[in-house]
Amino acid sequence: MATFALNLFLGLICGAAGFWLRKHTKLSVVEVSSLLALTAGLVLPRLFSGGDLFALTCTAVSYAVMCSRERCCSYREILAISALCALVIFGGQGVLVGIGGRLGTSAALSVLLYSFGKNGLQLGKARRF
Amino acid sequence: MWYQLLIFLPLIAALLDAAGVLAAPYGRAVVLGVLAVGVGAALKRPAFRFTPQFLRSAVISCTAALVTFGLSTKLGLGGVVASALVGLLGAQVLQGRDQLVMYMGSFVGMSSSLRFPAWGPLAVAGLLAGILFELSDELWVGVGGRLGTIAAAAVVVVLAVMGGL
Repeated sequence: MATFALNLFLGLICGAAGFWLRKHTKLSVVEVSSLLALTAGLVLPRLFSGGDLFALTCTAVSYAVMCSRERCCSYREILAISALCALVIFGGQGVLVGIGGRLGTSAALSVLLYSFGKNGLQLGKARRF
Repeated sequence: MWYQLLIFLPLIAALLDAAGVLAAPYGRAVVLGVLAVGVGAALKRPAFRFTPQFLRSAVISCTAALVTFGLSTKLGLGGVVASALVGLLGAQVLQGRDQLVMYMGSFVGMSSSLRFPAWGPLAVAGLLAGILFELSDELWVGVGGRLGTIAAAAVVVVLAVMGGL
């Protein structure tokens, strides 16, 4: 449970940091994502016993941060996507193991789940009024 | 609509893997069938043009995959750090679209050496990822994780053919 909570927390921190970097610096999306992944890959495995999982989560979140501004335009949205991403990585630890691109696939799945959820909610509200 | 299958391939593979049938002959057949239908539909699009950019993306992606795999497995940096270093290098050396292709190639190179005991199939996966990137240029635009999804599609297809799933 503690691992799950810490994984989620670090994913949220990473998502917020990535969104801040995109908003307040002139770094490209590739630079932002690479810097986040590099920091996570170097720091987290040395800080925590389950650091490898946390590094994977933060790396996947750094890919999700590469969303266009049309898809993700606020901290609330990036935090929701980051939380979904942390859940997908945590729940899918045994799937596509050792296959390059697995983290990106998890990130894309999180973004799509969020987009479908958001569109569904908006459609529901529009029907109600 | 069938064109979309190209980018959904890793998600289909993930479902098959979760069900424990990805490595089975019919699991691999599904992966290759999905690829064939997706590529066929992509080639039939009116907007499709074969340009030199296909070759350029394939070469950049392949190079990035091989460099990342070397850094990850031979130098022991691990996939995350190796990919990030290659991505940062690409962002300094290349411009615009090529940066994305290089970063995507680095995702292919994050594969485990248990999946790719030899460099040849990994190079093929890198080349294929570059081609798939060009073929799926209208899909999931602006979705974070799109590059990794294309990379995973290429890796899964090569492993399905070579038998490393």
